[in-house]
Amino acid sequence: MARADVPTIDSASAPYWEAAREGRLMIASCGACSKVHHYPRPFCPHCWSEDVHPVEATGSGTLYTYSIVYVNDLAPFKDRLPYVAAIVALDEGPRLMTTIEGADPGDLQVGMPVTAAFRPVDGDDPDSPYLTVFTPIKEHA
Amino acid sequence: MSRVAIVGVGQTRYSRESGRSEWQLAVEAISNALTDCGIDPGDVDGLVRYSYDNVDEAMIVRSFGLKLRYYSQTGFGGLGAPATLAHAYAAVASGQARVVVCYRSLNGRSTTRYGRAERSLGTGGGDLIATGDRAPSGAFAGPYGMLSPGQVMAMWARRYQWEAGLTEDELAAAMGRIAVDQRAYARANPDAVMGGRPLDQAGYLAGRVIATPLRIFDLALETDGAAALVVTDAAVGPRPAVWIRSAIQGLIPYAESIATYGELRNGPTYRSLGSRLLQDADVKPADLVSASIYDATSVSVLLGLEGYGIYPVNGAARAVIEHGIGPESPLPVNTSGGHLSEAYVHGMNLVIEAVRQVRGESMNQIPRSGPVLVASGPSGLVLAP
Repeated sequence: MARADVPTIDSASAPYWEAAREGRLMIASCGACSKVHHYPRPFCPHCWSEDVHPVEATGSGTLYTYSIVYVNDLAPFKDRLPYVAAIVALDEGPRLMTTIEGADPGDLQVGMPVTAAFRPVDGDDPDSPYLTVFTPIKEHA
Repeated sequence: MSRVAIVGVGQTRYSRESGRSEWQLAVEAISNALTDCGIDPGDVDGLVRYSYDNVDEAMIVRSFGLKLRYYSQTGFGGLGAPATLAHAYAAVASGQARVVVCYRSLNGRSTTRYGRAERSLGTGGGDLIATGDRAPSGAFAGPYGMLSPGQVMAMWARRYQWEAGLTEDELAAAMGRIAVDQRAYARANPDAVMGGRPLDQAGYLAGRVIATPLRIFDLALETDGAAALVVTDAAVGPRPAVWIRSAIQGLIPYAESIATYGELRNGPTYRSLGSRLLQDADVKPADLVSASIYDATSVSVLLGLEGYGIYPVNGAARAVIEHGIGPESPLPVNTSGGHLSEAYVHGMNLVIEAVRQVRGESMNQIPRSGPVLVASGPSGLVLAP
């Protein structure tokens, strides 16, 4: 069965995906201007330097926006409906597309604090790429 | 300033299953546009198309026996609709061409369905299909099920709700008003696919939820059809000439993608482009008689109304709840029914409706003469009698 959720990995994005397998979230940092960006690119989008390298992000951020998706007939999503698609703004600044796990979709709020977690795209495939997902940060009394 | 006009428009029947090739549809729409202005194909020397179109220039050249001096393409989907006219405007104003045809043809329902992500993923199957960095469906979006435009624009809508300080019910009231008012326009338009299907706010709210906060009626139709326009340097033919007063074909970081990595389409860069477009036409927002605003989803209309300065930032939703976008509103929008209710010809049918308004030939004619806005994200036109 064809899947619509398997990412194509290229040389610029490989460090991101390799780190995700190890439970780390990498964003790209520029050696010339020190600014960070995501998704990874061969050039810094701020100063065009090619001196870009992955740096580990804290994994903390806030929920920038989200949607609970009820209609999608592509595998594997058709068996997961409804699912949450989301964008998180990292504390370092860049945003990334993701999903939110470990929360009732009805409890999601734009602006809520979240933290990164990692899981395989395809749990049955030992070589599967790992996705960065986010979970709400529990309020501690 | 050079005087360049849209003198001819043409389209096919809009349907869910044309039963004809996109090539046939394109030829019919172009033929109708040339007939509309009485220009012989032998006088056409320029073509502009979408890079996404499956009907290439050579197919049109050999269909009509054209002898071209100029052709070009516009990228990034719906941004291309006003942009094709911007190219034609530049080509004619500079003398590179005298008569330019712009066209778009797609079997958007019976063949490649954008709503099923078939444009971005292809229909051939296979595993490694989340590729590149564009959203939807790029390697950083596809794995999370952000595969179709509606799934990503749902993100815009939720963020807009938060930035504008709206409740979920207020957002639904505003988006529903757009869907309901555009459907009311479609009722008078015999070409509109949804013309026979009335819609009220209760019906809107009862619509199937596709991706929160968007319901089925917030999303563009999928349509088989084609549309074409003819641009030249003089008022020719039996119809009133529609002069291109200004054009802009913007591209800013992430505008090439519908991702929300960058600013929303009411953000400062969009507002700057919109302001420049109106300034170049020597037009103020209050001067506009009507507008065609690209409505892949209803929320795009809210963002466009703010991006082009019709309403203040985060002010469109409340204004639309109060006034709507109907014939009596401060600025009537998408008066053919738009992509939500007329047809989805990837923006070209919206340009044609703007032409009809300037000519005084719309089925929902706004009874004032003056400039009309065409806006599609960072691309736009001001047309005037």
